[in-house]
Amino acid sequence: MSHDHDSPKAHRPAGAGEPHAFMAHHFNTPGQQAGAAKFGMWVFLATEILMFSGLFLAYFIVRMHYPDMVLAAHEHLNKTAGGINTVVLITSSLTMALAVRAAQVGDQPAIKRNLLLTIGFAFTFMVVKYFEYTAKIEHGMLPGKFYHAWDHGYYIEGSPHIFFAVYFCMTGLHGFHVLIGIGVLTWIYLRAGKGHFGPSYYTPVENVGLYWHLVDLIWIFLFPLLYLVR
Amino acid sequence: MADDKSTHDAGHEREPSYLVAQKGLKSWLFTVDHKRLGLMYLATTLLFFFVGGMAAIFFRTELLTPGPGEISGVLTALGMDPTTSATTYNKLFTVHGAVMVFLVIIPSVPGALGNFLLPLMLGAKDVAFPRLNLLSFWVYSLGALFFIYTLFAGGLDTGWTFYTPYSSNFSGTAVISATFGAFILGFSSILTGLNFMVTIHKMRAPGMTWNRMPLFCWSIYATAVIQVLATPVLAITLLLLIMERTLNIGIFDPAMGGDPVLFQHFFWFYSHPAVYIMILPGFGIISELIAVHSRKHIFGYKAIALSSVAIAIISFVVWGHHMFVSGQSELAGIVFSFLTFAVAVPTAIKVFSWVATLYKGSIQFNTPMLYGLMFLFTFTIGGLTGVFLGTLSVDVHLHDTYFVVAHFHYVMMGGTIIAFVGGLHHWWAKMTGRNYDEKQARWASLFIFVGFNMTFFNQFVLGQQGMPRRYYTYVPQFQQQHVLSTVGAYILLAGFLWIAFYLLASLRKSAAPKEPLPDNTWGGASLEWSTQTPPIEHNFHGQPRVDSDPYNFPQIDRTGGMDHH
Amino acid sequence: MSDANHDEADARLFLHGKPVEGYEECHEHISPMKAYYAVFGALLVLTGLTYAVSYMSLGPASLPVAMVVAVAKASLVCMYFMHLKYDDRYHVFVFLSTIIFVGIFFTFTIFDLNSRTRLIEEQGTFFRNNYDREPPPTPEPAEGHGEGAAGHAEGEAGHAEPAGAPSAEAPPAH
Repeated sequence: MSHDHDSPKAHRPAGAGEPHAFMAHHFNTPGQQAGAAKFGMWVFLATEILMFSGLFLAYFIVRMHYPDMVLAAHEHLNKTAGGINTVVLITSSLTMALAVRAAQVGDQPAIKRNLLLTIGFAFTFMVVKYFEYTAKIEHGMLPGKFYHAWDHGYYIEGSPHIFFAVYFCMTGLHGFHVLIGIGVLTWIYLRAGKGHFGPSYYTPVENVGLYWHLVDLIWIFLFPLLYLVR
Repeated sequence: MADDKSTHDAGHEREPSYLVAQKGLKSWLFTVDHKRLGLMYLATTLLFFFVGGMAAIFFRTELLTPGPGEISGVLTALGMDPTTSATTYNKLFTVHGAVMVFLVIIPSVPGALGNFLLPLMLGAKDVAFPRLNLLSFWVYSLGALFFIYTLFAGGLDTGWTFYTPYSSNFSGTAVISATFGAFILGFSSILTGLNFMVTIHKMRAPGMTWNRMPLFCWSIYATAVIQVLATPVLAITLLLLIMERTLNIGIFDPAMGGDPVLFQHFFWFYSHPAVYIMILPGFGIISELIAVHSRKHIFGYKAIALSSVAIAIISFVVWGHHMFVSGQSELAGIVFSFLTFAVAVPTAIKVFSWVATLYKGSIQFNTPMLYGLMFLFTFTIGGLTGVFLGTLSVDVHLHDTYFVVAHFHYVMMGGTIIAFVGGLHHWWAKMTGRNYDEKQARWASLFIFVGFNMTFFNQFVLGQQGMPRRYYTYVPQFQQQHVLSTVGAYILLAGFLWIAFYLLASLRKSAAPKEPLPDNTWGGASLEWSTQTPPIEHNFHGQPRVDSDPYNFPQIDRTGGMDHH
Repeated sequence: MSDANHDEADARLFLHGKPVEGYEECHEHISPMKAYYAVFGALLVLTGLTYAVSYMSLGPASLPVAMVVAVAKASLVCMYFMHLKYDDRYHVFVFLSTIIFVGIFFTFTIFDLNSRTRLIEEQGTFFRNNYDREPPPTPEPAEGHGEGAAGHAEGEAGHAEPAGAPSAEAPPAH
């Protein structure tokens, strides 16, 4: 067995990335570090997908049990608000992708501009969500034992409290992810302000981008299932 | 790699080991060193092993007599209401199950031995995300705190499975804190799995191809895949359960139009694969123990490696065999029963390969090997009785009896715990730089073996005769067997206390060896033996390179190891 | 794996004449701005499509149609925004196998639910749908409340208090 001693220059393969200030000691090359971080992120996304899959399955099961109730209840969701939010999230996905691209090419002002736009869209999403939730709460369309829409003149056959339970769980968990997204986006925005990111090091931007696209991805399925499907 | 294990560090002065490289409590609590985190996991899991084990001792004591007896006596002595002994019994077995599953078996091997060994075996300086590793430990501790809180806030009486609607609507115990604790522990498990997966993919030393990884790494990899794919479903299940209990959302509640069997689908989609989270690392340890201590190249390396992955995948399509009598459709039961038999194939491949490795090997009966052989015996019984339970028609008779209890103890305890204890002895010198007392260790292993089989073997008979599980009382004709079980449990307790005693004794200052222990205690050929004992802070002096596989022992070496025979 | 520009003499990457795969590399790909805008446009069009389709009465076909559109959108996001098209193949594998495991989860559970429902209907032991917490629009209350009803009793002042146990004979929904 042979050991070669640390001689970073001699053994760094071409294409593995230039050394940068955020290199951790236990990696051999920046490429290894970036590759590990990105692979870790993809595995994390896998866990997110499986976590949401439970709620999607719950939705489909409720739909199987109560097809008519789900169709009647989903009419009470605000399609326009949902549609606006879809466009907002898709646009934020675009700005996020552009922020990653700006980091790749080292365009500092564009990184910050696009991140700020993304954060703005995330807030817009939450504001629309807030109005939607307020309307549901006012109409008594609440999960489980809190459901009392009949007090407000809405009559839905079946067990609509389960539909609204699923609705609130799904959009709630998704909204929670948007909030987390705002947090991490703010974090990389601050770091971008310090000029941390450039062509040699943009892993955090890229990984937050992957996370943000996943949030978008979940919504792409949530929206038609909850708001649109008849 | 096979050529000169002992000499590679010759050019280097002895460096301070990771144990003393940094000083102070803070250097332990906030360490990102995988080896220190491994030791911290080891300490906590062993602590909870004691807690869970004592709960078992208490309810085994209760089962000495058919009626409500022993626990109510204890309760009276403590000035409590003795009529609550049935409830107390329910809480005790729940504590035992929940603590053993969530706090001991799932994190034990990956958390303690996996953390310590994986980067060493791969020739890496650390896991891929050391800070995530630290976070994972603290998340684990937070989840454990929730469990401890549960104990003091009225306990939990749902069984570790949290079946609805009992857990959501009826149980008067601290279900929410326990569920939330399990939810948090799930995150710890996910983070560890993710970290290990990335470590194995990205941190292998040059030349460490997939087919040159020690089998322990393969099993940890398969475990990590399950942790990553299954645990998120547990998270959402427990979240929905918490919602159900607080908001009555009605998804799992038949009274609200929901479906309680759906909860079991959700739960077992995680918890069946979780059974393999528990046992696969044990398989990995056994592969190492058997090969090293019979001084023979492991038989069927690729078969063992890939069967781990096969088990990981098959584990996701068999969960319905926990639900044969729970209202699942018969058709689904048939399909799940059929698929369950598929698990036997990769498992048998492993067992046959281990036995074939022993064949004509130079077997040394030192303590780790004794546990390895014990594993082969007990795990095979556990695995084969699993085939009975996977058979739809037989399961209808045996479901929820002591047969099931005996089966999963033979797998979980006779498999994972025995492997864990064996692994602990195998790597004890590497981890601590100390030698335990070999003679005491062999005697203690005999206690474990006798105690274990005495406790659980006749439970197969009990269950077959119709003794249901989770009852604090029983018909008098079963008393003899229950007494046998309880006495076995006491012997087991004595065995484990003995192990704790001599392992702790080896850590005393006065027990420190005069000369530092050799790097390669057992003559192993994997990378962890090529570095100093205990390892230096950054594992290796330079970048190790690998050009051979980890079971290429130089020759059959009859003098290797600590003991001559 | 793109080893084309790697130094052939580097022992870290080549052992026994074979490249050591996956070691110390990271794929990067910079897409042109045009690509991002094109994908964005396509996503907007598809969103409009799924919105429009929801107003057509497609009946049972509406779910598959909506899902097909959603899958199309999701693949666009994955391939171009998340760079999966240019990424390490293994990331694609992770992503797709996740989808497969979600599929396993869905298939078996729904399979059980389906076959169970048929059986329950045959035996006439339907247990669902007998709990309708909502008073029907007719003046006299028919369906009962569970224990959960107490939680909103004060909110029902304007309504007749429903009474009676859940009707066990409630007909199956389907």
